[in-house]
Amino acid sequence: MAPPAASQRYPSPSQPSGKSEVTDLKSQLRQLAGSRAPGVDDSKRDLFKKVISYMTIGIDVSSVFGEMVMCSATSDIVLKKMCYLYVGNYAKGNPDLSLLTINFLQRDCKDQDPMIRGLALRSLCSLRVPNLVEYLVGPLGSGLKDNNSYVRTIAVTGVLKLYHISASTCIDADFPATLKSLMLHDSDAQVVANCLSALQEIWSLEASHSEEACREKESLLSKPVIYYFLNRIKEFNEWAQCLILELAVKYVPSDSNDIFDIMNLLEDRLQHANGAVVLATVKVFLQLTLSMTDVHQQVYERIKSPLLTLVSSGSPEQSYAILSHLHLLVVRAPFIFASDYKHFYCQYNEPAYVKKLKLEMLTAIANESNTYEIVTELCEYAANVDIAIARESVRAVGKIALQQYDVNAIVDRLLQFLEMEKDYVTAETLVLVKDLLRKYPQWSHDCISVVGGISSKNIQEPKAKSALIWMLGEYAQDMSDAPYILENLIENWEEEHSAEVRLHLLTAAMKCFFKRPPETQKALGIALAAGMADFHQDVHDRALFYYRVLQYDVHVAERVVSPPKQAVSVFADTQSSEIKDRIFDEFNSLSVVYQKPSYMFTDKEHRGPFEFSDEIGNIPITPEASGDIVPAQQFEANDKDLLLSTDEKDDNKGVSITGSAYTAPSHDNSNISSQMQELAISGPATSAATPQSSFDFDDIFGLGLSTAPAPTPSPPLLKLNPRAALDPGAFQQKWRQLPISLTQDCSVNPQGIAALTVPQSLIKHMQSHSIHCIASGGQSPNFKFFFFAQKESEPSSNYFTECVINSSSAKAQIKVKADEQSTSQAFATVFETALSEFGMP
Amino acid sequence: MPVAASAIYFLNLRGDVLINRTYRDDVGGNMVDAFRTHIMQTKELGNCPVRQIGGCSFVYMRISNVYIVIVVSSNANVACGFKFVVEAVALFKSYFGGAFDEDAIRNNFVLIYELLDEIMDFGYPQNLSPEILKLYITQEGVRSPFSSKPKDKPVPNATLQVTGAVGWRREGLSYKKNEVFLDIVESVNLLMSSKGNVLRCDVTGKVLMKCFLSGMPDLKLGLNDKIGLEKESEMKSRPAKSGKTIELDDVTFHQCVNLTRFNSEKTVSFVPPDGEFELMKYRITEGVNLPFRVLPTINELGRTRIEVNVKVKSVFGAKMFALGVVVKIPVPKQTAKTNFQVTTGRAKYNPSIDCLVWKIRKFPGQTESTLSAEIELISTMGEKKSWTRPPIQMEFQVPMFTASGLRVRFLKVWEKSGYNTVEWVRYITKAGSYEIRC
Repeated sequence: MAPPAASQRYPSPSQPSGKSEVTDLKSQLRQLAGSRAPGVDDSKRDLFKKVISYMTIGIDVSSVFGEMVMCSATSDIVLKKMCYLYVGNYAKGNPDLSLLTINFLQRDCKDQDPMIRGLALRSLCSLRVPNLVEYLVGPLGSGLKDNNSYVRTIAVTGVLKLYHISASTCIDADFPATLKSLMLHDSDAQVVANCLSALQEIWSLEASHSEEACREKESLLSKPVIYYFLNRIKEFNEWAQCLILELAVKYVPSDSNDIFDIMNLLEDRLQHANGAVVLATVKVFLQLTLSMTDVHQQVYERIKSPLLTLVSSGSPEQSYAILSHLHLLVVRAPFIFASDYKHFYCQYNEPAYVKKLKLEMLTAIANESNTYEIVTELCEYAANVDIAIARESVRAVGKIALQQYDVNAIVDRLLQFLEMEKDYVTAETLVLVKDLLRKYPQWSHDCISVVGGISSKNIQEPKAKSALIWMLGEYAQDMSDAPYILENLIENWEEEHSAEVRLHLLTAAMKCFFKRPPETQKALGIALAAGMADFHQDVHDRALFYYRVLQYDVHVAERVVSPPKQAVSVFADTQSSEIKDRIFDEFNSLSVVYQKPSYMFTDKEHRGPFEFSDEIGNIPITPEASGDIVPAQQFEANDKDLLLSTDEKDDNKGVSITGSAYTAPSHDNSNISSQMQELAISGPATSAATPQSSFDFDDIFGLGLSTAPAPTPSPPLLKLNPRAALDPGAFQQKWRQLPISLTQDCSVNPQGIAALTVPQSLIKHMQSHSIHCIASGGQSPNFKFFFFAQKESEPSSNYFTECVINSSSAKAQIKVKADEQSTSQAFATVFETALSEFGMP
Repeated sequence: MPVAASAIYFLNLRGDVLINRTYRDDVGGNMVDAFRTHIMQTKELGNCPVRQIGGCSFVYMRISNVYIVIVVSSNANVACGFKFVVEAVALFKSYFGGAFDEDAIRNNFVLIYELLDEIMDFGYPQNLSPEILKLYITQEGVRSPFSSKPKDKPVPNATLQVTGAVGWRREGLSYKKNEVFLDIVESVNLLMSSKGNVLRCDVTGKVLMKCFLSGMPDLKLGLNDKIGLEKESEMKSRPAKSGKTIELDDVTFHQCVNLTRFNSEKTVSFVPPDGEFELMKYRITEGVNLPFRVLPTINELGRTRIEVNVKVKSVFGAKMFALGVVVKIPVPKQTAKTNFQVTTGRAKYNPSIDCLVWKIRKFPGQTESTLSAEIELISTMGEKKSWTRPPIQMEFQVPMFTASGLRVRFLKVWEKSGYNTVEWVRYITKAGSYEIRC
């Protein structure tokens, strides 16, 4: 409650230094302190106000502490309030002085006027001086029993403050139990709401080291408590309603009737004027219906209109918060919002952050029916004065083109952008045309004729320049002057500052050379020479590599550098579906705005073990994983090393193999080139997923996995029931309830990793060891599984495991929860053994 | 937790702290310095209203010349945070009597501290309802001398009262004359393409009320919206009256409205708070009557001359009129000389916003008015970049007109003492963002 000490403030130079004023105040206060003249309270009020103003603008008035306390021995509530304010400000810095105030605050806690009792109690709890904790317990205890609700409201929050100063004092005084009974029986809604927030906070913090707190925390989520709150929700004010709705999100309904009951109870909350309440309700609806696909769709339909209203009313900041959430929903269910695209048209005066989100939404909801209108609108924005937005718009048009099959009209638009003759529009468009050609090579003819007309002198941005150069290399046979443009660029090698562009120049010169050797030979020679003399390591290495491959055999070089390509079918998504689900779980929080799950931006230590329990219900149980896109990724990988700057990280395994060629010259050269030859000859057909070959690469490159002998399986100590069954709901319930009894990291053998192209392979394998999968998700390289197993002898004793496997690092992390904690180590051993045998013939 | 705000800061545009309240100790006092150096002094300021620095997130918004910054250290609820700030500012305004700016804050330190302590405790929002707060707040706001409103009577007795089921209304209110004022305020948003096609058009409306009623009155409001009328005819089992019915896309209500009854009977019934409040908000996209049509023609003649011709037509009833009509016609930055004629009103070239500003004080319905201008540009060296034309923007107010066609059918007041009330109903349509591309 205390503003920072005066030293941290920045009083403007025009303000008085304050010394003489403070001395003045001091003497005046002293005069008034003893006086009982009529009207003295009014003059005191004025002086107090002055003191507080000084305090606020940063003048140190702590020296009048004694006088203030003396003067406040009055029944005037206005004076008292100001005095509390003053005391609260300076107590923390002066523990000795604050001892002075304890007495009069404690006395005021017994005042007749409930308002004074409340204020005194709040000030007492806000002193935040650790050695005064003992004085708090008494007043808090009586405050909780006060017959006035205002005092009780303050006392409840006071307990939470006490907990943060000294947890043990709070627990010893058994305050949580008192709060719990208040929460369930008090007649005042605000008291109940404060109890709820205090208890949630106390028990979540206690849960990490107390079994009882864990149970208590769970009991908040029990059916009677939830319904107690939901049935009374209208009695609470809007903020408390948010709190209750947030609690309801965590509730696990017992059956579908339960779900519908809750939704009926909360339906009218969607019409509440407070956007925060609406958003919290939306979250409840979405989370409740996750398991019921068709109802979930209906929920989207139902919430659409309230959310769109919220977007168009209120300040831009509020719309931004709502739009971020809407964006998440739009991405999850674009077809539902497809007909509402006009709501996402930008207004001229909107701030850029709102426009940017709207552009992303327009991109996401574009489909066959609305593409034309959306693209027309986006083209308007490309002429926007705000350059950042203009760029985003061009990018959006490109993204839509990559999503759609009917790109005819869009390609025309993109090419029109090139005619606008604005540097930034041209630059963005070139990058997009390049991506478009990778996906739709059939358009090359139309694009190339326009791109050929662009003078490379007008393009400065490295990304755009690289894109242009890539096209020059790739389509050298269709562009009559491609070799000459390249030659021109190569002659200015020294002036090219971006390494990315120089890398692309090298590759393009090579490609052009294979297609039109006589015209390019000279340029290539210059490029290779310049490249090998380049100070940039990657450029140097690539030039050297090209040179040696050419020396070895030109045909091999052609197959390495310019193999026949297949069109890219799907560009890799930047965010894994697991992360997206994680963000969806944290709907209505900062995660959505930042577009990353909370663990990425809040401290790890603040997270209790229960944070994990929420995620299980939301991992989609996918019958077939992303196996069909693997070949596409390989082609892309092949392309990527030529196209993307080397600093772009990618988890793709294919990239890591080809990527390692960049550093190859530091190894034995002959070995490398023969290796590369092998790769080139087998071409893209060499599947990275084939265990043998990937194993070999790692071996030869001396990178990657240490081929430690597989751990010798120890005989299983635990007999598991091979036909155990458990429904996902029950699993979820258990996963929430039980604490983590064991966390273990282990490595997975390389054969296992190789076999783990889809989660199903591991699931089958584990099943043969009587460990059953309940849910799985993720794609290469991160997989996540939830397993359960049952003791053969006792069907009531279950084991629950979360297993996260990272196939690029060959590591697995397992978390075990068990009904019988004592046997969880034995189970973990069985699990690990089973995992280590994965992939073995 | 919805918002466990760690601190709230009020900064002026230079970044000086005007006043602040630290609710929790989990953020350091230097957090505000981080805000200053990483957000205020960089281009970031307009980029995003939520930013993370270190372990803390800053949720901030600017209101007149003050930045209000909420600091949170956990994964807080952003929507709730912004809503809290907006509500808090509305509350401050009601105490200051209109203006919320740096001066108002400097004049009201004690009051702000008092309010901040009551509306939030340890980072959790408490009660922001002005009616209830009147009971706890001892300070009176220092009103700016220009505010037109007379001083409210100070609350005679600050004794406490248990917050009952009707948290937004005190018991025992008494007025000599019982009056209700109801305003329907609509703002029309339009985006029209240069070819005259309506790209986007909707109306966001508000029903604002001012109640001076004694006791605990029950109010019932009937509108000519489709659902309400259908429900009514269904209940009285007679066919719906012909005439215009309005389809509301979405409605939200003040917390005083009994939503259960709205859902079952489709009538808006409520016990109103005392004084001013916003009863409901709605949104309409179908069947919007645009009050104005704008027909621009802009010709670029060579590189240094532009010919502009803008015709504005009013399409509402001939007996009505619009007030404060402003048409902003964008011109290029390098405008040297302008020359124009208007049939009504006055026009002026405003170089600071690169617009011709055409003002018409009173614009009767079913009429039209034209501006024709000739603009000469400074010829620039070699710059052949074409001028990107921003849209024409329009402002106006049309009293007694609703773009949606919404009307109040009845407003009934019922109180157990059975007094008579006077009801006043007004309609007004304003321009929201009314943009015409050219």
